[in-house]
Amino acid sequence: MDTLFQQIINGLSIGSVYALIAVGYSLVYSILLFSNFAHGGFLVIGGYICYYCLVKANVNIWIASLGALVGAGIAAVLVERFAYRPIRERTSLTLYMLIASMGMSIVIENLFVVTVGGRYKALPEVIPMTPVSVFGLATTSAFDILSLVTAVVFLIALQLFLSKTKWGLAIRAASYNLRITGLMGVNVNRLIAIVFFVAGMLAAVGGIFLSARYTLFPQLGGITTKAFVAAVIGGLGSLPGAVVGSLILGLAEMLTTGFLSSQFRDLIVFFLLIATLIVRPSGLFGRSVGEKV
Amino acid sequence: MMDAAAEMKRPLLSVKNLSVSYGAIQALKGASLDVYPGEIVAVIGANGAGKSTMMNAIMGDVKRGGGEISLDGNPLPARSFQVVSAGISLSPEGRKVFAPLTVMENLEIGAFPLKDKGEIDEQTQRVFNLFPRLEERRNQYAGTLSGGEQQMLAIGRALMARPRVLLLDEPSLGLAPIVITEIFKELAAINKTMGMTILLVEQNARKALLLSNRAYVLQTGVIISGGNSRDMLNDPEIIAAYLGGGAG
Repeated sequence: MDTLFQQIINGLSIGSVYALIAVGYSLVYSILLFSNFAHGGFLVIGGYICYYCLVKANVNIWIASLGALVGAGIAAVLVERFAYRPIRERTSLTLYMLIASMGMSIVIENLFVVTVGGRYKALPEVIPMTPVSVFGLATTSAFDILSLVTAVVFLIALQLFLSKTKWGLAIRAASYNLRITGLMGVNVNRLIAIVFFVAGMLAAVGGIFLSARYTLFPQLGGITTKAFVAAVIGGLGSLPGAVVGSLILGLAEMLTTGFLSSQFRDLIVFFLLIATLIVRPSGLFGRSVGEKV
Repeated sequence: MMDAAAEMKRPLLSVKNLSVSYGAIQALKGASLDVYPGEIVAVIGANGAGKSTMMNAIMGDVKRGGGEISLDGNPLPARSFQVVSAGISLSPEGRKVFAPLTVMENLEIGAFPLKDKGEIDEQTQRVFNLFPRLEERRNQYAGTLSGGEQQMLAIGRALMARPRVLLLDEPSLGLAPIVITEIFKELAAINKTMGMTILLVEQNARKALLLSNRAYVLQTGVIISGGNSRDMLNDPEIIAAYLGGGAG
């Protein structure tokens, strides 16, 4: 019983970090209808900014995180501006942006390899890892609770931004029809820049927690694969879907680790992906069954 | 009255020699038209004549190949959001309301270029006065509305930005005849009570000619004739080509 509770908490914790990544990725997909494979790069950028702020600039975790969020947000906007916008202004085929995003993901990864090196870096112990008892039912680390709470706070903030602000409304309209949103007087390029900034910021939050949980290295962005899978399970382009898919994935991973073996952890991820694609290709909350790459 | 007559001489919206190409296909080959303040002008023509292309080119949604478009004597900016801010709004072909958003949210999107909250509320009230049914359904998702109600919403949404010229792309498309009559009655009212200048493109030539003051005929990317709508309704050539089949 203890193991069950503990693994559920761990699963929700890692699932909520996936959710931060998956939501940003899904948000971009809902507007531009392509899978941004450079999304993992934003996470790595956030992780490194946080690391160097902590280690070299000796600032506290709050300032380092703020720097990471803003830095990754700006990086995402720049990637869109220089790699995707020239393409989308010339063609409506999203396949080209998909290919460009694969290229950008390699570029970002290797920028870190050549500048800071490919070594694993451990974030200083800025996020408490002390064991915490949860209602006396299970013992988990403060880190898991903290990452869960942080993710929930950011997801609620995103929800408020989308439902209560003028630009949030425009983003919801654009996820239904970008062209018509532009015809209504919305500056589409600015809207897309805002979406990328938000996606980059959320990825950075995920990046900080992931590099604290594991370590930081240029290929850490590869973990985004799991967020992609989570987004597909939930239904690409759907934000509630991305959150639910991420939590399902986190729970499945941790329950597998707890009751079977951690070796099956990645297996279950892809099993869930394939099962979704066979049984319900549009995902749990998906709109339509179209092209899903 | 002299001033009004002088005013009439300068078109509010002027399109000169507009050409648009999609790759090798030239959809508009130097089309020109003028819309004077307070007028309803119709562009009629068959499917594929370039009617929607003309609307989209004015809106900056497709790239203008050549020619000039001016609003009140000033050249019209190139990008859609700037065109809307300059004072031209579109009710697009096929209505294209935001189905997962509520009626109210659709109107708010239409008011995006407006900054002042009071102005937005005022404009919303104006739209609700025109289309009371939208007010009844303000919290309903646009996707659940009937075709006619969606067309009202598309027109209302375009009016939200307080345009100087309202563009309508096929407002009758896919609607039942009785609904078309209702929509066209509303358009006449918008023109009359709000003094709204309207440019519409329509396949339903008879309805369009009955509503408009003046009309142009667009054929394969070229304006081939134009004139007073009433005269055109009685023009044997127009009757044969566009009113013949009893359409509308």
